[in-house]
This record gives sequence, C-alpha cells and structure tokens, in this order.
Amino acid sequence: EISKQVEPPQPSAAMKALRSARFLNDLAGIEYPNAVASPNPALNKNAPADRKFKYNKEFLLQFQNVFKEKPSLDWDVKIRDTIGDGGDTSARPGSAR
Amino acid sequence: TNDSANDENTAPSTSTATASNGQNVTVFHDPENFNVKHPLQNQWTLWFTKPPTGRGDNWNDLLKEVVTFDSVEEFWGVYNNIAAASQLAHKSDYHLFKRGVRPEWEDSQNKHGGKWSYQFKDKKGIDIDELWLHAQLAAIGETLEEDNDNEVMGVVINVRKAFFRIGLWTRTVGKAKAGDGAGKEALMKIGQRFKETMKLGPNEQVEFSGHTDSAHAGSTRAKAKFIV
Repeated sequence: EISKQVEPPQPSAAMKALRSARFLNDLAGIEYPNAVASPNPALNKNAPADRKFKYNKEFLLQFQNVFKEKPSLDWDVKIRDTIGDGGDTSARPGSAR
Repeated sequence: TNDSANDENTAPSTSTATASNGQNVTVFHDPENFNVKHPLQNQWTLWFTKPPTGRGDNWNDLLKEVVTFDSVEEFWGVYNNIAAASQLAHKSDYHLFKRGVRPEWEDSQNKHGGKWSYQFKDKKGIDIDELWLHAQLAAIGETLEEDNDNEVMGVVINVRKAFFRIGLWTRTVGKAKAGDGAGKEALMKIGQRFKETMKLGPNEQVEFSGHTDSAHAGSTRAKAKFIV
C-alpha cells in the first residue's frame, strides 16, 4: 500500500545542489575523477571569449547515470499537465541514493 | 593601515567541506553536494505535442512547453525523468528548441528557415531513443554548427504509426548572408554532421526543405531542396 504524504515534500540534496551550484567558467581548470573523461579540448580551443562551452557526446553521456534527480519538486504535476498519459513516469529511475 | 593582518578576530575556518576551500566540486565528485555545474551555450526549452483527440483540437492547446534548462546536469535531470520517445503515443512530438523560439513555422524567427530531416521507416530495426538522445546532445553540446553560423534553432522527433522522424531546424535556407555563398556551405556542413549523429550510411539521404515550401505543399511532401 502506498503511504500518504503527510509533510510537504522537501528538495533532495541533489536538487539543492543543482540550484545553488555556480556555472563553471573555466573548463580547463577542472580535475575530473580518474574514471571520467574530460571534454574534448579541441572543441573549446580558440573559442571567442564570450561564449560558453561545446561538449562532445562522449563527455555528456557520462552524466546519464550520475544525475537522475527530477529538476523540480512539482515535476510530476508538470509532466501530468503537459505530457499527460503519454508520460509514463512509473518506470522512472530512483534518485541517486 | 593593514587591517587584514589582524586575523585573530575572524571566524575560524572549519574547512570540513571541500566547498569552503573554494574548490570546484562537480557532480562526478559528489552527486549530492556539487558546487559547480556545466553551463550550456544556450538555454533550451523542451516542448511536447500531444496527439490530437480528434475533437477539433486547437493546435495551441496541443503544443505545450515542458521545461527550460541551461546546464548539462539539468538536461539529464529532465531526460531521466520523462517518457522515452519510444513510449510516446502516435502523433506525439518532442521539440528541443533554443529558448524564445516556438517550434512552429509561424514563429518569426523560423519564417525564413527550414529543416534537415530523416524518416526512420524501419521502426523495429533502430534504437530510436538513442538516436533522439544523440540529436539532443549534439544540439545542447553545440557540435552541429560553427561558432558564427547561428543556424540551429532546435531538434524535433515525430512519433508516427508508420515511422519516426527526426529533424533539425535551421534559421535560414542557406541563403548567403553576405552574398558569398557561405550560407549554403554552412547549411550543408550542418546537414552532414546531423547525418553522422543519426548514424546514417552513405546510401541513406537526409533531406532539407524550406518551411515555406513545406507549408505550401499541403499534404504532399515538399520537394527536397538539398540532400546529404
């Protein structure tokens, strides 16, 4: 049986981190953990100073299993309102705990 | 004159969290306590087209804005919590467009534009979820065009009974901006990269057509203007 929510939902740690994190402004200065491949530096070499970064697919795919948190607390309601029955969120992966 | 020399009254640093040392903690270092995120060059909005009910729907009621994001991390938060393209009902579309551009011909920013597109008719023979994901990654990672092209408006997937179609909308139809022909060259290169993203072989053709041509073609398909 599904238990009823008695308290207003609180943002998870990952959700809070997403909200409060700063945007990186120097990609080259980041030391990623050993298992993570850095973005292809050729994509951002000689870039105009005012543009942000390009990212190769291989770099981006590494986030897939690392950040799984819903973007907002009202996500499920939002999905119901916009996508409706087309959005089967029952198969959604759990949080990254 | 040197106040900073007197540091005995400043709060002691606990330095328990790496964040307080001014270090960059990415989501790869700590998925729950990261303090930096990866910015996208553009803000992107995901739109969804609901299948028509067949009861005189208004197109505007069917096309819905889902969410806008501007970081790699948030893209994955969205992607990991939304129905896969393969799970959508027929006549649904996802559109991932730069913020401020409606995914419609009628948007003034699309008035002079067109699209590269490919129809996957063998629905069972392909991994459509992977292809759509890669189309989105190429868009947000900005690897489809050069810095000054300013052509890419968004990507779209149409889920239909007989096929999946993935498209890439561009701002122009390859008209040279300064009369030097660079416009078409840039457009062809974008088409070529889109084709590689879709993992299509040399015998498969990705077609470009202008939105105006498509609009006037009615139910018959617009003649392709370019092919890669």
